[in-house]
Amino acid sequence: MFDLLIEGAPLYFSPASVLLTVLGIIGGLVIGVLPGLGPLMGIVLLLPVAFHLDPIPAMAMLIAVYVGGSAGGSISAILLRIPGTPLAAATLFDGYPLAQKGRSQDAIGLSITASSLGGLVAGIVLIFFSPVLADFALNFAPPEYAAMALLGLLTIAVVSEGSAIKGMLAGGLGLAVATVGTDEFTQAYRYTFGTINLTSGPNLVAVVVGLFALSELFVQIEGGNFRDRPQIQKLRISFRAFRLIVNHRWNVVRSALLGTGLGAIPGAGGDVSAFVSYAVAKRLASEAEAYGEGAEGGVVATEAANNGTCGGALIPTLSLGIPGDASTAVLLGALFLLGFFPGPELFQYHADVAGGIFLAYLASNVVLIVLGIVLVPFFGTVLKVPKAWLLPLVLLLSTLGTYALQNSVFDLWVMLAFGGIGYVLRKANYPLAPIIIGMILGPVLENNFRRALLLSRDGPMIFLERPISATILAIAAVMLVYVTITTVRPRKRS
Amino acid sequence: MKLREHAYDWLAWLLIGAVPLLIFWQNATSLTEQSVASGGPMSNAAAYPAIIAWILLGLTAVNALRIVAGRISQHSPLDPTPTTRLAMIATALFVAYLLCLGWLGYYIATPVLLTLLFAMLGLGPIASLAGAIAATLIVAAVFEGLLNVVLPLGIFNFTLFG
Repeated sequence: MFDLLIEGAPLYFSPASVLLTVLGIIGGLVIGVLPGLGPLMGIVLLLPVAFHLDPIPAMAMLIAVYVGGSAGGSISAILLRIPGTPLAAATLFDGYPLAQKGRSQDAIGLSITASSLGGLVAGIVLIFFSPVLADFALNFAPPEYAAMALLGLLTIAVVSEGSAIKGMLAGGLGLAVATVGTDEFTQAYRYTFGTINLTSGPNLVAVVVGLFALSELFVQIEGGNFRDRPQIQKLRISFRAFRLIVNHRWNVVRSALLGTGLGAIPGAGGDVSAFVSYAVAKRLASEAEAYGEGAEGGVVATEAANNGTCGGALIPTLSLGIPGDASTAVLLGALFLLGFFPGPELFQYHADVAGGIFLAYLASNVVLIVLGIVLVPFFGTVLKVPKAWLLPLVLLLSTLGTYALQNSVFDLWVMLAFGGIGYVLRKANYPLAPIIIGMILGPVLENNFRRALLLSRDGPMIFLERPISATILAIAAVMLVYVTITTVRPRKRS
Repeated sequence: MKLREHAYDWLAWLLIGAVPLLIFWQNATSLTEQSVASGGPMSNAAAYPAIIAWILLGLTAVNALRIVAGRISQHSPLDPTPTTRLAMIATALFVAYLLCLGWLGYYIATPVLLTLLFAMLGLGPIASLAGAIAATLIVAAVFEGLLNVVLPLGIFNFTLFG
């Protein structure tokens, strides 16, 4: 466990990595504070910048944005009763009432410290379990990898918000998009429609930016209220939360572990873990009736859980190459594009990189607790920036970021096309994350599927003859049967 | 058919439903011409996409039945808001920007786009223009100056930080 950290230390502890962690946390907090945006949008916007950096500073920045963005959403939930991100939806139950009682600084301080400590607990679990899981994955051959990719995609599609059928359709769409480009085995051009721009497939970043950022911009413009400036109480820097959080230490550990466990299940997500932890904290609280009226424990439980989920989601991402949620899917894509393949090989051949990533995650949570408290007055100002300024700037950053990757205007058209697709799918209540996860897992699934068939003498039976792949596929089959039953069975009418 | 109530569901259905058809069409034409649409796992580049296509086809069929049978709980009508028109205009402006970007270059096309967008979203003309110029320059300084990205030069071959 500590070997990885020691190997990663020289790589992480460089001025660039530390500086980018600090900037990433600030950027993540700012983007998390702004309603409608969130950690995913932050990662998406900074992804193109990351590719111009060395791998560890780049991953440090993206992970810091992920951590900061997941925590930042609570600030607008507490001050405005509008969660900056879906992750913070449960925080407003008690955060907003606390603010209404004139304790907004305590509420924000508690949410930041709980987020940070929850993230650190998750970090310890991440560092302990990822290598163990990766070691187990050393037993994997192409059939197991193919089965695992299929199970990962299926889990995310089924567990994602909206219906399971829509989740699976979105995942299938991602798999189909991933087949565009040059076939690795035959070197033939597939579905490129004669254009040289598609020989490497559609640019992942252009697709991600289009699906998430562009479609969000359209939705935000449709929402109106471009010049609204919310009224916010004056905020000061206060370190009182450091004292208050001690009273909630067990709540922090319990909620963080719950968040980590749920986060490690692909697709479960921070919002689910926040609600579950809130319910558990309320059930175990000595003054359960105070929950919903401004209980400190409610804020602590939800925030420790949703940042715990970040660490949890990184476990399958780094050890198996199966992302836990949309944000980690994009992080996984970034790691791919930076030249590293998550999974056992990462721990075997690039232990320093794995260690550097772990340190980046831990450092992000340490930086979060300091900056989250010190910058509180600044967040109040950020919340007053009207959408009329923000939306065109997000469009500019999305555009230049996508263009900068390959100096390609074609990528901008891809971004626009996927912006349109993302908008329609959003409106039809399709989850978008499975598309990206399908795009990332698609090549893993296809390559290992074809390699497995090549190894096999009995055709597809190889997947059932090997115990691990058969077990993974059995789990996938059970999930499919469950989805089929819940889809076919008539809904209960209340 | 509940066409209005589920307008976006049908649009999404059409979008996703077109994908397997494109795959089958390309398998039968382009991939067959390249002689990679048959044979074993090494030489057959069409088999795996065809499996995906069949799965998508099956799922879209099930989804169509769900929409027709009213088994989708959330409606998705077109239902424009008072600012949907603005969103459409912004999209049209962005399309025009992409068309002109290569020709006019970043330093001319971007401030124009941003000024129009800022103004469209309710900012005053001076604030819009000043904000657009400032944003164009700051972002260019980061991308050109720090990240060494070559932004579109256009016919005037103009750059500030490159």
